[in-house]
Amino acid sequence: MQQSYESMTTSAVLPARVDLHARPAGVVVREACRFAADIVIAINGKRANGKSILEVLALGATGGTVLGLTASGDDAADAIATLSELIPQLA
Amino acid sequence: MESASPNGLTQILLVSHSARIAEGLAELLSQVAGPDVSIEAIGGASDGSLGTDGGRVMSALQNAVHGSGTVVVMDIGSSILAVRAALSELEPEQLEKVFVADAPLVEGALAAAVTASTGAPPEIVAKAAEEARNAAKL
Repeated sequence: MQQSYESMTTSAVLPARVDLHARPAGVVVREACRFAADIVIAINGKRANGKSILEVLALGATGGTVLGLTASGDDAADAIATLSELIPQLA
Repeated sequence: MESASPNGLTQILLVSHSARIAEGLAELLSQVAGPDVSIEAIGGASDGSLGTDGGRVMSALQNAVHGSGTVVVMDIGSSILAVRAALSELEPEQLEKVFVADAPLVEGALAAAVTASTGAPPEIVAKAAEEARNAAKL
């Protein structure tokens, strides 16, 4: 399948007991860094570069929060698929 | 002591006035960045008091050149002087592998370690650390 530059948005819910604190945030950011696409994580009007641990931590997302995920770039579809599967499984 | 990173990841060297700050930060970095990033923590003076052990900083930097690159993150004052003094003793080809990040210690090291875990080269890892100067917390 040929992929071209694209932008995709979806949402993913943090598990009820998992805040996006240091360790889970590290898991998300490291996964995001595997993709070339730009990745933005948004909650309540706050936006973070999904590849920046400090920005993701500053979101202060708590368990059960719906995270908006936007990926822009050649592998945006893969990035969205991977992250939206990963986030609800964080422990 | 051999500090060459077996997995090719950029290594992180922490220099603090306090052994407990350095070691606690290393523990935090391993949690967030995962176990693959090599982190060396140097804290305190040679007698265990608060301060800087220039000799340890020097030998860590001399070992660092065997790896694929090292990013140094420091706290304040004499930590910075000790790193500068050690750098002045390195050969030019050794200096190519050592990047000193002008960054806040905790946030800079956190950004550096996570970036290093992705396989980024030391110049990119150092840049990530320096971006911590502008990162909002709230």
